[in-house]
Amino acid sequence: MPSNLNAFDIISFSPGFDLSGLFEENDRKKEVRFTSRQPASTIISKLRDIAKRLKLKIDKKDGGLLKMEGLKEGRKGVLSIDAEIFEVTPNFHLVEVKKSSGDTLEFQKIMKQDMRPALKDIVWTWQGEQQQQEQQDLQPSHVPQLQVVSPPQDS
Amino acid sequence: MGCFCSKKARQPPGYEDPTVLAAETPFTVNEVEALYELFKKLSSSIVDDGLIHKEEFQLALFRNRNKRNLFADRIFDLFDIKRNGVIEFGEFVRSLGVFHPNAPVADKIAFAFRLYDLRQTGYIERDELKEMVVALLHESNLILSDDVIETIVDKTFRDADNKGDGRIDEEEWKEFVLKNPSLIKNMTLPYLKDITMAFPSFVLSSEVEDSEV
Repeated sequence: MPSNLNAFDIISFSPGFDLSGLFEENDRKKEVRFTSRQPASTIISKLRDIAKRLKLKIDKKDGGLLKMEGLKEGRKGVLSIDAEIFEVTPNFHLVEVKKSSGDTLEFQKIMKQDMRPALKDIVWTWQGEQQQQEQQDLQPSHVPQLQVVSPPQDS
Repeated sequence: MGCFCSKKARQPPGYEDPTVLAAETPFTVNEVEALYELFKKLSSSIVDDGLIHKEEFQLALFRNRNKRNLFADRIFDLFDIKRNGVIEFGEFVRSLGVFHPNAPVADKIAFAFRLYDLRQTGYIERDELKEMVVALLHESNLILSDDVIETIVDKTFRDADNKGDGRIDEEEWKEFVLKNPSLIKNMTLPYLKDITMAFPSFVLSSEVEDSEV
């Protein structure tokens, strides 16, 4: 089961809270996030497929965490990537893909050349980037029904 | 005691002796000196006056001096302890001290509470929480319907507002964090422990050895 995000978790993703920019010279991003309107099972399948194609060893942990490990040593040891799935609603998930060990440049290269293109069909938006063109003109009636049950109103 | 005679002529307002700052924060004197190198760089990027202005802060965080961000504003305001619109060196070190891995968790919890208490009422009100969620979604180009946002805020409040009075007070916040420690993960910067690694050329010329303190 992916862990649920509460409002403070969501807020903590802001780059305004990320003081590492004060210390690091360049944009050595070690993590990326994207949203998906697919159910968790679809996201996990997709990540597994990608990992297999990239010849990464996969280890599924509890709570929506998928650990992927390269099989050969890179510039700074073996590249390990964690993909963690958080549920906002059953049909809206946030996925955080981050480097857990190895070379950041290798991580960025594998993200850009391999993972991002392969994830295209399940990604709704990449955090911090403009949405795909076809979604920008969405009228409210085109927004899929989210399976959300409103809690009883406490006044 | 170290002597900073060669630096005294250039001390800007708000400068504090590194040995004093080291005594009152988790940093060693060498680490405070390394932070001074960083501070000098940040505080001279737009206006060379030994003070970090809001635009210099935005420039450092976002590589864009004009980028406005609700959360960066909150951090800036909290670092600006004297509330004079700029971050001085002493304020910089003391505030960063809270982010040190060795800083007391209670300090981190308290800092986070003040961060989220947008209007400094002593409570995190429901509309403040919603405002922050909306701001985050907006800055990330994520779209959620108002219904979904309300549901998320409702659920968070149900979990955190034990007294059920529509706002989160500091005590409720502490309990909430103890149940969900990841809530304060932003409050620790691991590389603060290795800050002297980031400025090796300074450390070689440091006038104070840690062993003398």
